[in-house]
Amino acid sequence: MMQLNIPDRDYLNSGHVGCPGCGATIAMKLALRVLGEKTVVVIPACCWSIIAGNYPQSALKVPILHTAFATTAAAASGVRAALDMKGDTETTVVGWAGDGGTFDIGFQALSGAVERQEDFIYVCYDNEAYMNTGVQRSSSTPYGTRTTTTPGTEWKKTRKKNIVEALAAHRISYTATASIAFPDDMMRKFKKAMEMKGGPRFIHVFASCPTGWGVASELSIKIARLAVQTNMFPLYEVEDGVKYTLNYKGNRSIDEYLKMQSRFKHLTEEDIQTIQEMVNEDWQLLLRKIGP
Amino acid sequence: MTTAQASSDHISLLISRSKISTEINKTGSWCFVRPGYQDRTAPCSAACPVGEDIGRIEMLAVQGLFKKALETILQENPFPAVCGRVCFHPCEGACNRGEFDEPISINKLERFLGDIAFLDGFGPSILNLPNNGKKIAIVGAGPAGLAAAYFLTRLGYVCDVFEAADAPGGLLRWGIPSYRLPSDILENEIQRIQNLGVRIHCGEKLSEDFLIEAKERYQAVFLGCGHGRSTGMNIAGEQMAVDGLKFLYRIRNGEKLPMQGTIAVIGGGNSAIDIARSLIRLGAKPIIVYRRRKQDMPAFEHEIKMALEEGVQIQELLSPVRIDQDGSDYILSLQEMKVGEQDADGRARVVPKDSKTQSLRVNQVFSAIGAEPDEVWKVPPEKIPEILTLSHCTITQQDLPIVFGGDLTNSNKSVTDAVASGKQAAMALDTLFQKGWENINDRLSECRVGNSPALSMEIYMGGDRKNRSRHIVAYNEVNIDYFQPCNRVVSLSVPLQKSICSFDEIDHTLSTTGAMSEAQRCFNCGICNGCDNCRLFCPEVAVTLEDNKRQINFDYCKGCGICVVECPRSAMVIEEKKV
Ligand SMILES: Cc1ncc(C[n+]2csc(CCOP(=O)(O)OP(=O)(O)O)c2C)c(N)n1
Ligand code: SF4
Ligand SMILES: [Mg+2]
Repeated sequence: MMQLNIPDRDYLNSGHVGCPGCGATIAMKLALRVLGEKTVVVIPACCWSIIAGNYPQSALKVPILHTAFATTAAAASGVRAALDMKGDTETTVVGWAGDGGTFDIGFQALSGAVERQEDFIYVCYDNEAYMNTGVQRSSSTPYGTRTTTTPGTEWKKTRKKNIVEALAAHRISYTATASIAFPDDMMRKFKKAMEMKGGPRFIHVFASCPTGWGVASELSIKIARLAVQTNMFPLYEVEDGVKYTLNYKGNRSIDEYLKMQSRFKHLTEEDIQTIQEMVNEDWQLLLRKIGP
Repeated sequence: MTTAQASSDHISLLISRSKISTEINKTGSWCFVRPGYQDRTAPCSAACPVGEDIGRIEMLAVQGLFKKALETILQENPFPAVCGRVCFHPCEGACNRGEFDEPISINKLERFLGDIAFLDGFGPSILNLPNNGKKIAIVGAGPAGLAAAYFLTRLGYVCDVFEAADAPGGLLRWGIPSYRLPSDILENEIQRIQNLGVRIHCGEKLSEDFLIEAKERYQAVFLGCGHGRSTGMNIAGEQMAVDGLKFLYRIRNGEKLPMQGTIAVIGGGNSAIDIARSLIRLGAKPIIVYRRRKQDMPAFEHEIKMALEEGVQIQELLSPVRIDQDGSDYILSLQEMKVGEQDADGRARVVPKDSKTQSLRVNQVFSAIGAEPDEVWKVPPEKIPEILTLSHCTITQQDLPIVFGGDLTNSNKSVTDAVASGKQAAMALDTLFQKGWENINDRLSECRVGNSPALSMEIYMGGDRKNRSRHIVAYNEVNIDYFQPCNRVVSLSVPLQKSICSFDEIDHTLSTTGAMSEAQRCFNCGICNGCDNCRLFCPEVAVTLEDNKRQINFDYCKGCGICVVECPRSAMVIEEKKV
């Protein structure tokens, strides 16, 4: 039985306009339970800039800085510098961007900031496409997915970019994956990142999107859990770019995961087999990095 | 003013700042389904003849709330320490965890809670109604009679129990060997019943005349005196066989009965097994002779297995036809049987196999083929206008309401079914006095646990359990992602070589840590244990927690349904929103 021993106070307000069952909202809720009051969140254009509320409303009980799509890491660097100038080293600065804003358009700002060793936590909540503008593919969209820009038989034929490896390659002190379906693991990682002040920490959070994926809203957590259970989205941590720790070993087959989502419903058994092989290959690669 | 301050003030003028919460948007209007909390029925409790609230009992045990857990049992059964030893535990067969790895050791946990009550000297506090001035006579201080007295007393009646033997307990005292049920355990639980105010009059064998006298002094009579006479075998030489039930009685009465040689025990029920296992302990070599097959024996499977391990032999498909004496030995002539068609009750019918017979030379023959009423007034009459036949008792109303219960009417003659009979009788009589004869059936069916015949006294008395849905949680409704495989607890027991040398109890009671970790395996099917998943995952922050009670705030709930799916134990439901 899972009994969670976790902070209880929520910094998310009711009345926000996230879709029913929104995984990105749950991600923010869980993260802020750990990060607490002394947090500033920097949000670029993405679903979360809408969920956060129309002016003059706010869905969070902590300050948010809305910023341009490409600039999360740059803006977060600036907020950090301003706080430091005010002598506030306690407040955590969190860049909070979608996969499009991280893997694609925000990537150069992010790469630059982490290379400069900026002191913030950068969170990419990954719903595997540009959801806010109507499900366009991103470089995080996995092989096999139908989106509005990869429709019909033109479903996406390239693999999902491995963002954690890209960040680990910057040799930052902490890079981790997390899932909303494993709240205790996710919250532990946020706590760890929060306490590792002084440089960039990157957390890649898998956040299901019932609307964009074609999954019933009540299965939002279940589908996120299956992604981990099938090794589609492994839970692991990398310290200093080299020290790997695996947090969960999945053993379920990928078709269970794919068949629950209409974004994959066109796939043939052969396609599914291809995806299974990709997952196996990535998993073996990861195990090699984890070591014995 | 420093430059830094100046520039931050300047910026605050240029950046628009949100100052109000999104809470003004009542997003609950988006919702077309409504989730809700609804405790439901666990399959174990529906399978339990007395309908114990097992999922809740285990939940309390995990939290270390042993007294509360015990009280939850005592709502439905006055005999946890006894039933924790002798019950055939159909609950475990129905346990959802059985489909995942192994069923919860419900029976051992019940015994643990029953025993700890005496070790820790708990004075249980459960609901008892004030005296209502009515008196009930109860014939027989066995499990049915004592249960009837227990429940009736809790409902406010004054009960006199009349027992023919010189100590109460009936079959529990005289029929079950002490290696299965030590007397101090039984005495403790009977004492607890007496502490409620039940008066037990021992050494009072009643006759039919009592039913006439009773009218003057009592408002009803419960007959739970069981079957006083062993069933005859109707074979030649039968008088040479020892009456097995009397033999068990003599052992429990403290008589030293050394035995030797080979002894045939005729029968296939629990008594036959008890007799054979007792004979092993007294030094003899028992052979059980049974006319059907081993798998058809009405004895509990676990008991048969134990008997075989202890060295009891079982010879199946042999029907005794006569007993002859030969010197100091007996020759038992046996007709070989074969399996014919199925009976109506699913058991295989056996028929003689040609005219083949065998003979078995033994030192003694014991009979244990069952028991029957010794006097006709203990059998429910037929063809009277006011008679109500319920699952565990029969009520007649001529001059005085009389309930026939326990083994007199139960088709399943187990201790727990006897307790169920006493409970059913208590509810039926109380309903009769409160609401009249014609309401008994309806009132009782309101108190059913799930769809089973088991009745809940907690529901009858208006406790929280009455809000439980009748729906029985199926395995596929449990969210097994929240559970890890884990072997069930094993309890320590006396090694076989030692246990067959004495009548001391074989199994030990679970340790506190053993019991708590076993209880932790329980899914708590259908019962909220406060895991808080619903509140943790709700994307709308629409689950509130106040005074340990969770509620859904429909101003904001968008009806995504995550809370319902992520409830590990299916204690939530979702329904379409009514417009
Ligand atoms: C420079 C720029 N290009 C395009 C847009 C339009 N736009 C707003 S949100 C968005 C998609 C964001 O996708 P992602 O970062 O994955 O976040 P999600 O919406 O999926 O949460 C786009 C393309 C923009 N705001 N700015
Ligand atoms: S897991 Fe617990 S509640 Fe569920 S059937 Fe088994 S004992 Fe009963
Ligand atoms: Mg996205």
